[in-house]
Amino acid sequence: MSDLRVLTTASGCHFQSHPSCGYPAPGIGDFYFKPLFTIGSFQFTKPILLMFLSAAIVLVVFWLAFRKPKLVPRGIQNVGELGVLTVRDQILRPQLGSKGDRYLPFLVSLFFFIWLMNLWELIPVAQFPATSKFAFPVGLTLVVWVTYMFIGMKNQGPIGYFKNMAVPPGAPWWILPLLSPIELLSNIFVRPFTLSIRLMANMLSGHLLLLVFSIASWYLFSATIGLLFAAVSFVVFLLVFVLEVLITLLQAFIFTTLTAFYISDALEPAH
Amino acid sequence: MPREGTGWSIVSYLVGGMLLYGGIGWLIGRWTHIEALTGVGIVLGIGLSLALIIYRFTRPSD
Repeated sequence: MSDLRVLTTASGCHFQSHPSCGYPAPGIGDFYFKPLFTIGSFQFTKPILLMFLSAAIVLVVFWLAFRKPKLVPRGIQNVGELGVLTVRDQILRPQLGSKGDRYLPFLVSLFFFIWLMNLWELIPVAQFPATSKFAFPVGLTLVVWVTYMFIGMKNQGPIGYFKNMAVPPGAPWWILPLLSPIELLSNIFVRPFTLSIRLMANMLSGHLLLLVFSIASWYLFSATIGLLFAAVSFVVFLLVFVLEVLITLLQAFIFTTLTAFYISDALEPAH
Repeated sequence: MPREGTGWSIVSYLVGGMLLYGGIGWLIGRWTHIEALTGVGIVLGIGLSLALIIYRFTRPSD
């Protein structure tokens, strides 16, 4: 939160309560944080803390769930199995079939890590989706990109992989010089680019929407007719909040589904 | 039934085609001082992307 905003909200600046009281509109400044502490020139900020927390939670929950697996699951093992099976049946199997089960650990960690990173947006005190900082989606996308490129080159051979990628089946030879560059560009550059942008942009816009309406509820709050506007704004805030609950899940789902799709593309040449 | 990633692949082909041929058109346009070539490139790129999508996704083997 920018200093100006803290000042205006702390001083009880409301609509028409003072001539200089403007609506403190949220902006890109709300995505930059003062470092919690610095190590050398490295600044440890809130999003980094949230990242470590997410990783730790995923690790601990699944470790607890499968530390002593029982045939008939009890307690937290139920939760763990539900999570793993959901990813397997909804994301992995439709894309890869049962032969893709070896990628299940990767996809499960990816899905729950991204979901948690998104979910911080809705959790009080944290109130910030770490994935809206572009570096996190880019890092995750790099991992995915290296994975599917490696799998592709390993399964189809380094040359065969690019040949299968560049030559669409059934296309006449004379059009290939025009089509192959598109195919290569979209597989190698556009895919990872859109994968990271989609996640970042969705979480960033969601966070901005929540900020706009929550700040407006506070700003419009007064003993006059403005109370009505504040109430409307608060209702919209609640609606957006519910929408964001869905979006945090959906974005993690899309990211993981596309990862599975790219892996399946790399395992076998496109038909 | 098409797999779930198909829709996103089609989007990335369209973006790729527009970027590539729009970019080539823009470069040639800069060189020859004909600005309209960027637009021509983008339209050509969409056309070629569509051809590619048809070859990729509408064959019976899929």
